[in-house]
Amino acid sequence: MTLLQKSSASRCLCTLAAAAALIIILFPVYAIIVGSFESTETLFSGTFYWLPHAATLDNYRTVLHEQAGHVLTSLIVGLGTALLTLVVAVPAAYALSKYRLRVTAVIVSSLLVAQIVPSIVLATSLFIVFHWIHLLNSYPGLILADGTYAIPFGILVLRAFFFSLPNELMHAARVDGASEWQTFRRIIVPLARSAVITVGVFAFLAGWGDFIFALTILNGSGIEPITLGIYTYLGNYTGDWGAVMASAAVAIVPAAVLLVIAQRYIASGLTAGSVKG
Amino acid sequence: MKTDAAAPAPIPARAGTGAAFRSDGTRTPPRLSARKRQRFAGWLFLTPAIAYLLFAFALPIVYNIMLSFEQTSPATIADFTAPFAGFANYRFILDDPTSRAAIVHTFEFTAGSLIGQFIIGFGLALLFNIQFPGRTLGRSLIIVPWLLPLIVTGVIFKFLFQFEGGAVNQLLIDIGLAHHPIDWLDDPHLALWTVLIANIWLGVPFFTLLLYSALQDVPVELKEAAVLDGAGPWQRLRLVIVPIILPVIEVTMLLGFVFTVKVFDLVIGMTGGGPANATQLITTWSYNLSFQEFSFGEGAALNNVLLVLALICAPLYLFLSRDSLHRSAGAAR
Repeated sequence: MTLLQKSSASRCLCTLAAAAALIIILFPVYAIIVGSFESTETLFSGTFYWLPHAATLDNYRTVLHEQAGHVLTSLIVGLGTALLTLVVAVPAAYALSKYRLRVTAVIVSSLLVAQIVPSIVLATSLFIVFHWIHLLNSYPGLILADGTYAIPFGILVLRAFFFSLPNELMHAARVDGASEWQTFRRIIVPLARSAVITVGVFAFLAGWGDFIFALTILNGSGIEPITLGIYTYLGNYTGDWGAVMASAAVAIVPAAVLLVIAQRYIASGLTAGSVKG
Repeated sequence: MKTDAAAPAPIPARAGTGAAFRSDGTRTPPRLSARKRQRFAGWLFLTPAIAYLLFAFALPIVYNIMLSFEQTSPATIADFTAPFAGFANYRFILDDPTSRAAIVHTFEFTAGSLIGQFIIGFGLALLFNIQFPGRTLGRSLIIVPWLLPLIVTGVIFKFLFQFEGGAVNQLLIDIGLAHHPIDWLDDPHLALWTVLIANIWLGVPFFTLLLYSALQDVPVELKEAAVLDGAGPWQRLRLVIVPIILPVIEVTMLLGFVFTVKVFDLVIGMTGGGPANATQLITTWSYNLSFQEFSFGEGAALNNVLLVLALICAPLYLFLSRDSLHRSAGAAR
């Protein structure tokens, strides 16, 4: 029994306090899920129901009808962002951690600063640049823009991970006659699998959840991700809260899946000096 | 930068073939020194990232500066020919009451968010630092808000803060804290506070996580020694714990600042900048200038105000990250 140990009564009090905090923190998610099953009449009744009231699947029927294509678009954008991020970030992080290059300090500083740049600044210019090079309203354009969320972050997280791999691995591979590329591809990438997955998952979520680039770069009809679909509901039929809630519930599915399957990676990934937005 | 890379080592991209083994087992003489070959490979690994940084960050930032000195119109964005406008766009920003209000709102919003997020986040970090039943589960659930698309957060808060049928008003009336519903989103005096509350909610998990992991690193012996020396909980916190985790507090505040000056989706989802521009931030008003009024020059000028504001903390950020920057590289000599 150390000096700092609390009595069991005060520890139960801590559980209660933490539970109260978590109720507030998780309540909006609860409200989305419950709201997505409520009828439009319930949502418009002027009374907020704390517990499910007259559950219905109507909202999901509406969303299935109107948002299925948007979900597909979001999946493509998320996967594209993850792919772009990994292709750019994994080799770069390797170079910045295991090779002694003169530019390393400059590039790492640029990555830190890049995380600070607000997306609206990039969106304004990219809109016009993409207008010239015909990337507006296109998947490549949106994915290139969404990479700005994940690539600097991904390089820095992976770089921190690569530092933990012993240099002897690379020495040994070179002595055995492996080329630089073979060393990277066959030895480094497999060892870094968990970090690579973490970065890929975050890049996917960044692409999936992006709103600002979708709002600016997809200024016409055609490609429309789920985030934009939700926003359009809000603008067009200010009332259809049921459809809004059901689309929101669909939009949080990847985060929920991620929380379950990749839980242990998330906390370390999030705290590794990241900047979101 | 790419030509720099190629200059010292003009060999084909098949790096590494230089020192291959012949079938009879003797080693071919390397055409390049191992050192140069490795450096060349390092550059190749870095090339996509450099190209991306130039295209997606350097180009837009530089172009945004050019744009802010141009007299743009919907017609001129189609070609390169917008006339030079001098400082007209910046003068507009200074004279335009909404732009000035947006800058003030951004300061208020950022300061309020940081204070609220720090106090609540630190409190929760201290709570989770105590061993109690359910702690691990609680800690893993606390990051949920951080994983939601931001526009979803904005929309759900719009729903919860509704005048009629919103959960917040319902709760306040049910427990007797309010007699009439409060007009959270449509009262211009209140709306900025409402989006501020939502943003504090959004940022608390991040503060909690970072401060919690710092608290975990405070040596137990130090805390026990403080108890033996007769320090109460408050003194332990102020004189032992806070000084030890101060570097993490600094980084957390800095990152919190960076998040908050960028906030866009949340406000667009909740209020769209209204009512009567009461929640207009630099980000949302810049979007409005560029993409609703098609005054890209004015939008770009306001963007540059935001960029300067965000980058004020860049030197501090780089300073706090100096260990990572100067960490020496590994295998290749």
